[in-house]
Amino acid sequence: MDKWKFNLAQKQSMITSATAAVAAFLVLVLVALSFFIFIRGGNFFWPQNIHTIVYKRQDETLQTHFVRLDAKTMRVDEELLHFRYSSPEQLFDGQLTLNESNIISSEAAPSVAVVALKNGGSVIAKVTSITDFQGKRVGIEQFAKVTEQIDEYLQTINFVRQGELADIHRGLAAMDKRGVDEDAPARVKLAKRYYQLQDVIENVERKLDGYVLSVEFADNTSYPLFMQNVSEFYYPNEMNVGEKFLFALSAFGSFISDAPKLNNTSGGVFPALFGTIVMVLLMTILVTPFGVLAAVYLYEYAPQNKTTALIRISVNNLAGVPSIVYGVFGLGFFVFVVGESIDNILFGDDLNSTTFGAPGIFWASLTMAILTLPVVIVATEEGLRRVPQSLRDGSYALGATQAETIFKMILPIASPGIMTGVILAIARGAGEVAPLMLVGAVKFAPALPVDTEFPFVHLQRQFMHLGVLIYDGAFHSQNIGNGSSFIFACCLLLLLIVLSLNLIAIFIRNRLRKQYAQN
Amino acid sequence: MLKLFEHDKLDVNNLKPEQIAIEVKQLNLHFGQKQVLEDVNMAIPKNQVTALIGQSGCGKSSLISCFNRMNDLLHDCEVSGQVIISGQDIYHRKQNVATLRTQVGMVFQKPNPFPMSVFDNVSYGLKLQGVNERRKLDDAVEQALRETGLWTEVRDRLFESALTLSGGQQQRMVIARALALKPEILLLDEPTSALDPLATLHIEELLNQLKAQHTVIIVTHNMQQAARVSDYTAFIHQGKVIEYSDSDSLFTMPKQKRTESYITGRYG
Repeated sequence: MDKWKFNLAQKQSMITSATAAVAAFLVLVLVALSFFIFIRGGNFFWPQNIHTIVYKRQDETLQTHFVRLDAKTMRVDEELLHFRYSSPEQLFDGQLTLNESNIISSEAAPSVAVVALKNGGSVIAKVTSITDFQGKRVGIEQFAKVTEQIDEYLQTINFVRQGELADIHRGLAAMDKRGVDEDAPARVKLAKRYYQLQDVIENVERKLDGYVLSVEFADNTSYPLFMQNVSEFYYPNEMNVGEKFLFALSAFGSFISDAPKLNNTSGGVFPALFGTIVMVLLMTILVTPFGVLAAVYLYEYAPQNKTTALIRISVNNLAGVPSIVYGVFGLGFFVFVVGESIDNILFGDDLNSTTFGAPGIFWASLTMAILTLPVVIVATEEGLRRVPQSLRDGSYALGATQAETIFKMILPIASPGIMTGVILAIARGAGEVAPLMLVGAVKFAPALPVDTEFPFVHLQRQFMHLGVLIYDGAFHSQNIGNGSSFIFACCLLLLLIVLSLNLIAIFIRNRLRKQYAQN
Repeated sequence: MLKLFEHDKLDVNNLKPEQIAIEVKQLNLHFGQKQVLEDVNMAIPKNQVTALIGQSGCGKSSLISCFNRMNDLLHDCEVSGQVIISGQDIYHRKQNVATLRTQVGMVFQKPNPFPMSVFDNVSYGLKLQGVNERRKLDDAVEQALRETGLWTEVRDRLFESALTLSGGQQQRMVIARALALKPEILLLDEPTSALDPLATLHIEELLNQLKAQHTVIIVTHNMQQAARVSDYTAFIHQGKVIEYSDSDSLFTMPKQKRTESYITGRYG
């Protein structure tokens, strides 16, 4: 079999090709993953064209809808098309799955709009007219003006509610405590004022309810939408690619700055984005000094004997412990033992609701810090090992103590190595979900962990996290629909966050490398 | 060569107390089981250059490491006997090692600049001593660099990385770094073995100037160098001081047979 004999050069090139093939496969997987996430996530922002379709139902009757294509999937031998549509029964998020063979006709519907509602939903229909509270028809070109008017009304209501009405409530509440007859005249006076204001509000609300945006579905049925629920409408078919791109950009902007709507399937993800970043930063602040000091002890101070070797092996093994175990540990130890002890010491019997003894962002960060600690310790030790003995000797010979040598000479030189550990820790910490759900990440948090209310940073608060949002979304909407593209958009954002946090850390590391380069 | 201003050589085995910089008494050094120095007794004269010569592994580097206790950093190292500097036994348990090392500077075989700027390198020791005033640091750095003749070469690049200097400049900067602390004694452990001939010449000239202010002890492999730069020379063999006298007599009329064999190149 001379055919299978190869000379040295051929063998060499075969080995090269084999390794290159594996590397190429890896690149392909990475590109495929990024591309897939980018396309599916981007779909959430991209204004899809609207079509009018006529299709055959199972009972052979024909039906017509204005639809937007969400996704295509293959099932055995046929292609399934997933659409979204609106009808009086399914005002928004109506989902339709059809075989290609059932569709009789499909054509572009240029005059059909997507009406975005304030609750996060959207209605696909023709916009016909606007009616004001006196029943007068107003042209749809007056939309902006009417919206302004409605915002004014909403502000008025809000102003009364937050202002005078709140004062009256407080006044009444104060009187109720005493509950004495001599308060009666004042009470009556307040009550009277209360009903007056209530009338004002009802009056405005009646006007608000009078503003109606009429829309028309594909089967020519008309439907009234309350103007106060409508935020905007646009005609995707009439946009060119540039306009669509700008629209997608602004949609991305509101995606990262708004709160989630419709049970985390629409709207924005600002609280989750914020929670993720705050958690990761807090984790980094906690894990870096811990990890560095531990590594300094292990490498610089500890005698290099069996006990140290055992500790080092244990640290390495900790990196392999499943993350959910850390979550259970965090819940059982930090929350229930440490947190409750803090509550007892600070508040004692006065406590009427748990403060630190409940899952919160600090416990979550601490748990993640423990989880990423081995990575930082191992990387720091590696960095310390690279500092040559001659520099240590030089420092000692100038009268430095061991501590001075470590903190003024060795740690700065080892800092690029430390940063490598921090980068790995960030990458791991930002992507972890399972332990977070036990120690403080929730589907919906009423307040951010950092706000303008004293003391500004509320470490005991629960928080939202992008990973948890994805996990949650994946469980409550498994059919193809808006929910799933929302999940992909979250994935896209999570990837972007991990990428940018890493880039920042790499930038810092490269600067440190340049500064402390050894030759 | 005719030496015009040659002063009288001291008898190193019979020094007056005020002429002594370091007095070594009954010094024994063990690394684990191995005895590296055996009953070393010598007095090193003040403001002179003393060279230690001998073959590799004879213990000469270990001996100067005893003078600023760099040996302490190696484990398994045991020292007995006394090393007296300024009337104090530096192996006394109350001796502060960090303070000792500011008084006894040391320069190593390979230049070991810290990966920082030239200024930060030279001011490193002073900053450790708590000197933070910018003016004082500036003055001390300039003075130390002038002493080593490096000032004119690096005055414009004080804040560039010390690693951009050439090997010889680096070694002189390392000497300046030690001098910035104004040590009484400067220990040099084969300071020129990693340098080219021109850089070596620079350093040798420097040593001659340094002895006005400092006591210099140099370990060297190179006997020509020892003869050129030193006033006194000790020949060490297998952990023992075989012969110790002024360099002229040692290199021209060695009293011991082993010294003669070594300097004439029969072994080593």
